[in-house]
Amino acid sequence: MSSTDTTLGELHPQPHREAPSYLDDGHTIASWLLTGDHKRIAMLYLISVTFFFFIGSVAAGLIRFELTSPAGVVLESETYNKIFSAHGVTMVFLFLVVAIPAVFGNFFIPLMIGARDLAFPRLNLASWYMFMTGGLCILIGYIAGGVDTGWTFYTPYSSLYSNTQVTLVLVGVFVSGFSSITTGVNFVATIHKMRAPGMTWFRLPLFVWSMYATSLLLILGTPVVAITLLLVIFERLFKLPIFSPELGGDPVLFQHLFWFYSHPAVYIMILPAFGVVSELIANFSRKRIFGYHFVAFSSIAIAGLGFLVWGHHMFVSSQSMYESVVFSLISFLVAVPSAIKIFNWTTTMYKGNIVLHSPMLYAISFLGIFTVGGLTGLFLGSIGTDVHLTATYFVVAHFHYVMVGGTMLGFLGALHYWWPKMTGRLYNDTMGKINAIIVFIGFNLTFFPQFILGWMGMPRRYHYYYFAPEFQAYHVMSSMGASVLGLGFILPAFYLTMSLINGKKASSNPWDAHGLEWQTTSPPPTSNFLETPIVMDEVYDFDPVSEHEQDMKDQAEHPSDEDQGHMPGGGHH
Amino acid sequence: MANPAASHSHEHHIVSTGTYFLTLVKLICLMVLTVWIASFNLPKIGPISGTVVNQVAALAIALLKAYLVVTIFMGVKFGTKLIKLWASIGFIWVLLIFTILGDYTTRHFEPAVGWDGAAESALPREAPEDPAMPKPNDLNLKIRQ
Amino acid sequence: MDHGHEHGHVPGLNHQYEDMAQQSDTYIVGMWSFLASEVMFFGALFFIYTLYRWNYQHDFYVAHEHLDVRLGAINTTVLLFSSFTMVMAVQSAQLKERIRVMGYLAVTVVCACIFLTIKYFEYKSKFEDHLYPGLSFADDAVKAFGNHALENGHVAVNMNHAQMFYGLYFGMTGLHGLHVLVGIGILLSLIRLWYNRANTVIHDYVPTEMVGLYWHFVDLVWIFLFPLFYLMPLPH
Repeated sequence: MSSTDTTLGELHPQPHREAPSYLDDGHTIASWLLTGDHKRIAMLYLISVTFFFFIGSVAAGLIRFELTSPAGVVLESETYNKIFSAHGVTMVFLFLVVAIPAVFGNFFIPLMIGARDLAFPRLNLASWYMFMTGGLCILIGYIAGGVDTGWTFYTPYSSLYSNTQVTLVLVGVFVSGFSSITTGVNFVATIHKMRAPGMTWFRLPLFVWSMYATSLLLILGTPVVAITLLLVIFERLFKLPIFSPELGGDPVLFQHLFWFYSHPAVYIMILPAFGVVSELIANFSRKRIFGYHFVAFSSIAIAGLGFLVWGHHMFVSSQSMYESVVFSLISFLVAVPSAIKIFNWTTTMYKGNIVLHSPMLYAISFLGIFTVGGLTGLFLGSIGTDVHLTATYFVVAHFHYVMVGGTMLGFLGALHYWWPKMTGRLYNDTMGKINAIIVFIGFNLTFFPQFILGWMGMPRRYHYYYFAPEFQAYHVMSSMGASVLGLGFILPAFYLTMSLINGKKASSNPWDAHGLEWQTTSPPPTSNFLETPIVMDEVYDFDPVSEHEQDMKDQAEHPSDEDQGHMPGGGHH
Repeated sequence: MANPAASHSHEHHIVSTGTYFLTLVKLICLMVLTVWIASFNLPKIGPISGTVVNQVAALAIALLKAYLVVTIFMGVKFGTKLIKLWASIGFIWVLLIFTILGDYTTRHFEPAVGWDGAAESALPREAPEDPAMPKPNDLNLKIRQ
Repeated sequence: MDHGHEHGHVPGLNHQYEDMAQQSDTYIVGMWSFLASEVMFFGALFFIYTLYRWNYQHDFYVAHEHLDVRLGAINTTVLLFSSFTMVMAVQSAQLKERIRVMGYLAVTVVCACIFLTIKYFEYKSKFEDHLYPGLSFADDAVKAFGNHALENGHVAVNMNHAQMFYGLYFGMTGLHGLHVLVGIGILLSLIRLWYNRANTVIHDYVPTEMVGLYWHFVDLVWIFLFPLFYLMPLPH
């Protein structure tokens, strides 16, 4: 692992460096904080979302710690309410919605389509500043006392009765919402208009299709929650009555408008992860994605149908029964495109030439965990069972399966896959694999008992459960799992950071993957490509026969590489 | 689609001042019309009440004005297919929000009892005892051991 | 063929684009995407209005009587005219006639200011009659709305629902007014860019067109606000 070893991979020789990499192009603080380079902005986002994830995780740790005892441990109920609200707000608005699009979308969309930058670089930078301003507002809100309304801010509690920092936190959410909208605008314009010659829509990597669908959701959904939360702020500050029952307003209206965005929001969280998984499975099975068109169109279908199902969060809110039936039906329908993707990914792996590097382990974990999460969503989508399961830990387990087991695994997989490209360094792949296993075990230990708890009747957002002390065994199991999961989230911070210090320099294509981003240096130069690429064929043009032959040839020449856990493409002589 | 240098009609088409001015005149006329119609209480048409007729008339004129602004002033009439699609998608998508009305039209819009001057709500606070339902103690359930 | 460093020679063209046509197309797609988000933003407000108006028709009608249709009509005319001058400014930008561009933009700004001034007077009259939402909302229906509030001699309007109306009125026209104010700022910046012969606007009319699109959108919102708030039909 000596840093003086700069020998590059044989298979894809490094293009002759004419331009400095984007990391070397300017070392002042101003060159980072005033950059227009999408790659630098992506790194700024990476640092920010990691920071916010850490804050959300501390809150999660406190929650799990508190729930180990039926009567609570150290927190008062008021504080507990603020802690789970902080966990929700931070994780949803400051991490999940933002992470994969803002980090990997920003970094890789121009690279994958063969462009020099995004359509609107200065808007991109403004987007990051809006995100940081919103996040800072929210943090100040926490320090000043936090909110105890839950991340869903239901009225009239949030608009009239809560004495907590609702206004400040909502202003933060509002501002960071504009960051989402501008990111979506940027991506849509870029993908439509800045593809390299020959890059038709159906030659695009599926990650780009997912980001396009996500951008549609960002543009069309975020404004609705923005105005809804703005109205709650007005109701608190100016007593502008919209949702207050005293004056004839309807609190359920808030729920309709809130979930009109927040359901598409969960698709904003998962679609990018779908895109990442498509990339990982295709490249590490060394096989063309099965049913490329189906996977591409299913992303758009999920985006469209996702706008029609918000009422399934409101089955017990006095929503009309007829409307509930319609929502339940469409919720079942929206499961279909997701299932199509799972089948296609699994079929891609069948008779593929699977290579189990760490990103692939995350992708395979995703397949199993997301399927469980998706299927349990169906229990919640059918009204009869939802009446019993709603507002219990079953719901909590379901959404953590899809959000942590889905989006977070997608994020980690993307981080491990694209780390060499973004930083130019190789990390220890064995550590990566061990970490993937730790995350998998920790995750299931944390959240599977919660399904059982919910089925048995443990309510969510409750500080204590002394009325049912038999739940304690499951809670303790869950908390133990949370410790393991926490370890799995902290370890990458160490071995990935270590790779920056003494990792081997990466070649342009250490995974031997397909895609325009692997045709340029690691890390890429500021203008991404030294020559505008011209695309002749679709991106996943793996030929299984020649891949196998190449693999046999590699094995014959370098038998020891795989055993030592080294990543290929970094240590060939 | 992928060739960025392909020219598009939008860039070269310069609309005449006359067209713009005529559109302005049409818009002002429509505005005068809508104010004038609003001063009448229109009669009912079939089962549709007069109020609705008035409202539909006002909205129809507003839609016409909007159509003129979008197609002529915003240039959508002379734009590419993508622009036409993008211009319509916002307005079509906004109709989705109006599907929330599906909830309110299929149930009674109910202010809470005692507030807002409402004398009583449609549903009584305490549900009357339904003799057919078993009482909790009759169920003989052992939920906790 | 090194594309990396040769682009600075085309004035007004940013480095990530191959040529002006691509840049212009991309700007227009980007602007329309942003407008789609604005439509959803105001659309939610229009929906809330629809819901409450449908349920409280009579009270909303009585409450709206305090609004002056003539002022609303003048404001509508002013905004429509400003849309015309804005599109003429864009046409002049296409023809590269700098003085005309600045002239038309200036008239647009004047129209916007007239709009806001009239709005100021409208709001002032509401405040004087305590018709703004909040704890000090008017209690006396007759004092606020005069004879409209009476039916057969009895007060027939629910002041709570009237307060909801004014909540929506101030919320929606207020946000619209904020967009007009921001628009004035953007228009003034645009005039300054033209005055200074900045590369961004001189060589390419599309930035001016983008401002135009925003301005027409502001006009569009008012086209719907006007009949919904000022021209409410009597429930009959």
